[in-house]
Amino acid sequence: MFRRTSRRTNESEPAQEALRLVKVGKTYGAGESAVTALDGVSLGLARGSFTAVMGPSGSGKSTLLRCAAGLERPDSGIVRVDGVEVTGGGEAELTRFRRGRIGFVFQQYNLLPTLTVAQNTILPLKLAGRRVDRARAREILTAVGLGDRLGSLPDQLSGGQQQRVAIARALVAEPRVIFADEPTGALDSRGARDVLRLLQEAVRVHGRTVVMVTHDPLAASYADAVVFLADGRMAGRLPAPTADAVAERLAHLGDDTRVGV
Amino acid sequence: MFALALRSLRQRPGRATATLLSAFLGAAVVMTFNSLHDTAARPGVDSVSAQSLSTAAGVVGGYGTLLVFFAIASTLTVNVRQRGAEMELLRCSGATPAQIGRMVVGEAVAIALVGAVLAIGPAMLGGRALLGVFQDSGQVARSVDHSFGPVALGSGVGITVSAAAGAALLAVRRVTLRRRPRGRARTFLAYAALLVGGAAVCSTFAFSAEDAALMAPPAYGAILLSVGCALLAPRLLEGLLDRLPLAGPSGYLAVRNLRRRAAEMSGVLMPLILFTCMASATLTMQAVESDALKASGVPKSVDAKNLETLNLTVVGVIVVFCCVMLINSLYAATTYRGREFGQQRLAGATPGQVLGVVGVEGLILAVTGVFFGTLAGLAGVLAFSAVRTDSPWPGQGPGIWLAVVAVAAAVTLGTVLFTARRTLRTPAVTAVTLVA
Repeated sequence: MFRRTSRRTNESEPAQEALRLVKVGKTYGAGESAVTALDGVSLGLARGSFTAVMGPSGSGKSTLLRCAAGLERPDSGIVRVDGVEVTGGGEAELTRFRRGRIGFVFQQYNLLPTLTVAQNTILPLKLAGRRVDRARAREILTAVGLGDRLGSLPDQLSGGQQQRVAIARALVAEPRVIFADEPTGALDSRGARDVLRLLQEAVRVHGRTVVMVTHDPLAASYADAVVFLADGRMAGRLPAPTADAVAERLAHLGDDTRVGV
Repeated sequence: MFALALRSLRQRPGRATATLLSAFLGAAVVMTFNSLHDTAARPGVDSVSAQSLSTAAGVVGGYGTLLVFFAIASTLTVNVRQRGAEMELLRCSGATPAQIGRMVVGEAVAIALVGAVLAIGPAMLGGRALLGVFQDSGQVARSVDHSFGPVALGSGVGITVSAAAGAALLAVRRVTLRRRPRGRARTFLAYAALLVGGAAVCSTFAFSAEDAALMAPPAYGAILLSVGCALLAPRLLEGLLDRLPLAGPSGYLAVRNLRRRAAEMSGVLMPLILFTCMASATLTMQAVESDALKASGVPKSVDAKNLETLNLTVVGVIVVFCCVMLINSLYAATTYRGREFGQQRLAGATPGQVLGVVGVEGLILAVTGVFFGTLAGLAGVLAFSAVRTDSPWPGQGPGIWLAVVAVAAAVTLGTVLFTARRTLRTPAVTAVTLVA
């Protein structure tokens, strides 16, 4: 059932709003030890935007990303990706929903160790049973600077190179939204800069929508806007961010929450 | 470092279970058979009883011991390889390769010792039961008492500990060397095993049809041939994998996984080939032996029947042991892949597709294992049959072989699919962040 809808939406024009969260709530555990990770978060992101999600540790950033990306089911509220609501169903149905709609870039890269760079890049297409355009994959890999490493295995590459493969993989499947979870967390400053520029290009050149969770103000400054999260709630938004402004805001965010408690 | 080894054991008892189980079972089997030597050496045992006891212990106990050695070694190799990440962490914290080696080998030896000690009780009971079967069959006088002595204890502990230490050393070396060894030692070992195995099988022809130990050389030979095949099989398979017409994403991934994991594969292929080989060879040889006895008409019906029961009991223990080891290594190898499964799922694979990948891999493994196991087993059976009867082809028909193949395939596919299903219960995002 999902398969048919996903094909149809792939062919149709993308919705104006790439991502919409309405009063999303998520609680882990039960009773005394229950932790509210998300407390009624509402958020809308326009198509072709690059947004960073920031907040102190435990503010619910990662949970927000997982719920928005259909990796985890929220307890309450609505998540819409590209105008289609993420509904219930087993893991298989959620997987089919994500195909073609959602791409991932993780801190740990998550490339399959037994596949070469080129094979890793086309894997999502293979799994989804979609037509594999190898020339296009090669083109994108060349664009991220890995045109000469097509046959290498992930463990023969540096961290920065692996992350660029992950971005190429996310781009080849042409998803509506790319979710990046601390994509520069394990990289040196040079590798981080390359990766952030590529994410910017994904938005400006390829027209993707990127949502990036990060704790690094410098990384966040590459985004068009930063949304702040504290104690599972939205705590403001900063358009056209600079690293200093983000750091400043983040520091006060900590103050506010402490005063609030 | 040894303190660290014990500590890491205490923190994760589950991780050591597979190793402990194989050490325990292996030691129990070895001690059970070798306690027959102790029993035979007791004062006051008549020479006929002593003779049949030491023959049984020497033949089955002998090749059983060899089998246990390889089974423990292969399980441990699978287990130690999985700790690459942990060893990397230790190296980054300033541990020298020698220190890491001491930790992993120390841990393996500690587990093997615990397994061997735990096995003493069951082995005493098992030895007594085995002696009872001998007495029932009339091979050993009723007056003989079971004895559990230095031979049983020494061989049980010695084999278990040396197999564990050897496997751990090799596995650690592979991890700490940094560069991937391109397997010159493996090739040498493989050819050596094939050569010695072939020689052992050929030496069957030096025996006469009535020799009590006639079953020993083909059985030894078959085990060594199995080991050689297990070491070479992944490389032979690589060429074949390219030509497999496997369509669909699951087949695509399975073929690529198998090609890159040649070394890991032989760890799982070893018990699979050993099982197929030992089960089909020993059971067929036993059937040939029974038929030959029947045809010669020397011992009368009741004795012949008892003798058959005795031999089948002895062979049965070995076969069941092989089967448990097979399940054990498949379980350990599949559990370890949780992170990889998580990565496949995050790349867009449904749980069904992941199970499909595992299923195709299991099928290819089963076919490979059965093929080489049959080859190795057949060498032993043909030699045995040629000497024992006049025709190299046993007149048994393929019944035993078919049953063995069915069990091997069912166990392989059943274990990997069941384990993978359990592993898939962990959410994909959690699975990829768990340190393997």
